[in-house]
Amino acid sequence: MNHINEISKRKAINFFALSLAGAAAGLGLFWLIFILADVLRHGVAYITPALFLNEAAPPGLDGGGLKHAFIGQLLITLFAVLIGIPLGILGGTWLAEYGRHHSIGRLISTLSDIMISVPSIVIGTFVYAIFVKPIGHFSGFAGALALAIIMIPVVLRTTEDMMGLVPWEIREAAFALGAPYYKVILQVVYRGAATGIFTGILLAIARIAGETGPLLFTSFNNMFLTTNMNEPMPSLTVTIYQYAMGPYDDWHEMAWAASFVITLFILSLTILGRLIIRWKYKN
Amino acid sequence: MSDSIMNVNNLNFYYQGGVHAVKNMSLPIERNQVTALIGPSGCGKTTFLRCFNRMHDLYPGHCYEGEILFEGSNLLGRKDITELRSRIGMVFQKPTPFPMSIFDNIAYGLRLKGIKNRAELADRVEQALKQAAIWEETHDRLKQSANGLSGGQQQRLVIARALAAEPDVLLFDEPTSALDPISTGKIEELMVGLKQKVTIIIVTHNMQQAARISDHTAFMYMGELVEFDQTETIFTNPREKLTEEYVTGRFG
Amino acid sequence: MATTIKREYTFDKFFSGITFAAAFLVLAIIVSIFISLFRESLTAIDAFGFFGFISSTAWDPVREQFGAATTLYGTLITTLLALIMAVPVSLGIAIFITELCPKVLKPIFSTAIELLAAIPSIIYGMWGLFTFAPLMGEYIEPILQKSFKPIPLLGQLFTGVPLGIDILTTGIILSIMITPFIASIVRDTFALTPIQLKESAYGIGATRWEVIKDVIIPYSKTGIFGSVIIAMGRALGETMAVAFVLGNKHAIATSLFDASATITVTLANEFTEADGDLYLSSLFYLALILLGMNFLLLAIAKTFLARRGR
Repeated sequence: MNHINEISKRKAINFFALSLAGAAAGLGLFWLIFILADVLRHGVAYITPALFLNEAAPPGLDGGGLKHAFIGQLLITLFAVLIGIPLGILGGTWLAEYGRHHSIGRLISTLSDIMISVPSIVIGTFVYAIFVKPIGHFSGFAGALALAIIMIPVVLRTTEDMMGLVPWEIREAAFALGAPYYKVILQVVYRGAATGIFTGILLAIARIAGETGPLLFTSFNNMFLTTNMNEPMPSLTVTIYQYAMGPYDDWHEMAWAASFVITLFILSLTILGRLIIRWKYKN
Repeated sequence: MSDSIMNVNNLNFYYQGGVHAVKNMSLPIERNQVTALIGPSGCGKTTFLRCFNRMHDLYPGHCYEGEILFEGSNLLGRKDITELRSRIGMVFQKPTPFPMSIFDNIAYGLRLKGIKNRAELADRVEQALKQAAIWEETHDRLKQSANGLSGGQQQRLVIARALAAEPDVLLFDEPTSALDPISTGKIEELMVGLKQKVTIIIVTHNMQQAARISDHTAFMYMGELVEFDQTETIFTNPREKLTEEYVTGRFG
Repeated sequence: MATTIKREYTFDKFFSGITFAAAFLVLAIIVSIFISLFRESLTAIDAFGFFGFISSTAWDPVREQFGAATTLYGTLITTLLALIMAVPVSLGIAIFITELCPKVLKPIFSTAIELLAAIPSIIYGMWGLFTFAPLMGEYIEPILQKSFKPIPLLGQLFTGVPLGIDILTTGIILSIMITPFIASIVRDTFALTPIQLKESAYGIGATRWEVIKDVIIPYSKTGIFGSVIIAMGRALGETMAVAFVLGNKHAIATSLFDASATITVTLANEFTEADGDLYLSSLFYLALILLGMNFLLLAIAKTFLARRGR
């Protein structure tokens, strides 16, 4: 009898503990849905053509848009990608290939992992110190540089890992045909790792697209449309921050609309990346 | 009998850390014949095979001693390994198709040699696929990824890729150990047929395979050459007791 | 032929050279981050020293008196709060994904949790400021205050006017943000538990929970610890979400309903406005301290995660 009691007690504990785990999972899902629904609810209402077509109106006046911020965001991200991706891929290539056996390769790999987690605002202060301060003014380039520095270790580590997944025998087979190492890498290993590296790039772009802190004192902000990367440049994220903290209702509305656009963009990239990975595993 | 394409003289090989994997090997490799290397796991036969195309050069800390004479000079002393490797092809244990189309896989070695003419490439790709007896199965899908082929087909594709470069010698490192019996049969047939064109050295675990396809057999044990002779002699009337025990399956 | 080979050799050297330069750049960036932040901090280091700086609660731009104690306190207290809430929830999520979730739903649920990590912090900030903080201030915090304030000692944590812009709200938002990081690393670590170990525990009649508690979690200890430290690093460095809902007040908070400031928020709000050399230098000093803490934590986490499953 005692024995039976003991078992039903254990079963009850089992049920209780597993229910808690289920509840935790439910809580996670609850937050996700809560936040996304909230962004959707607030954001969709304020998505208007004017948002994309007009520049900022003076505070209090109607009809302003965020065209300047959209274009600034695109330019900053584009330049960051142009700097960050080639450097990340090349560096990752050295770690996975030529530097495979070097202790300095392992050191760089570990430091990159750590650098991925360095607070992005610290990168902002760094770019301020080495770029903004010597030049004397904020600029789109400085913002792009900060985002590129955030991006490089992410792309580098993904490249290293993805190239590492290409079986070593494949390289030997290419060597056995008399290929020099750089051709083995460019023509064989990159092809094998392409999908993985591409996914890594998507996720890296998703990551920098939402960054705000490092832009605050690099690209700063600007109420006007500019395509001059050497001037202070507006970005969606900094504009969201500024508008949300501002006193006007139409600013808040535009901040919500911009939040919606950015969330949609980032989540789409993330989901696309996931799908590509899953599709690749299947094949 | 003594038309040898290569001569191995007192070859020693050491891995990083000084592991002495090949000890004092000496044997001739006969032109247009199949030479089989047999022996228990870890006896150094694969290490020995990888000396011929200097595969060990990819890794640090190795050391060769002795010589492998090829066309009158020691290939271990050559500077241009790239050229050497395009003359001495290699087929690995697991199929190693490159992540590209069937056509590009075969054309890869040709392009490395600087052949760019499309007609010539197409022609030589077809030749190679025919030689490797895989043309029938692939001629209507040359543009498709080589990863879609079965394991046996991939291995024949890899052989075709090696053949396309028109090598003098082909090294096979247990080429059928990852394949089913039918695919194995096809590849064995293929190797016997290829003798007309190339010299073959094959490492195998499968003694029946060595007996079926090779002309000469070298039996290695713990890094040393125990016995080298005509395959028939090795399998029917070996000189050494150790060889007899191994080929009759009493150890190994 | 010989020229081709020579050219190939040159190309190969060239390619290995530029890839090495790119890899080395990471090392160079990290070193120069430390050097430049240190150099920029020198004025403040000279003025306040190290222990003087981190122990001083002053933050007075007018009289040029700066100390890190208030922001350091704000950073650590919000992080601690976030960890207390996030760790159990994350473990629950990891258990759910590895042991309970039906196989069909696994990828969907995993993706959902990863989306939670992908949402940019500024969005957490927007949601926090306009939706969650008012909810906290109007409904949840008054209830908490009513229930806990009469309790001696513990009640102290629930004093003040609940406005929603405070440490508690920040802690909760941070905990939501770091939960997916802990959950996904712990999930991966759980998956490393050898199946034979689990099966032999089931084999002697253990319930599912007992297998989790007595086999999987002990086996995953180092991974769990590593993931918590990584999450701690993230919480310490989180900026925008916190900037929206913490109130940016340089004071040592004693109640969960007090506003506060963290290092990151101070940087975000004051960096472009800092007019004096000493002011700016003190901000760089804060950034350097944050970087140092983060680097240390991550290095510890890396060693733990490397030992995972051994």
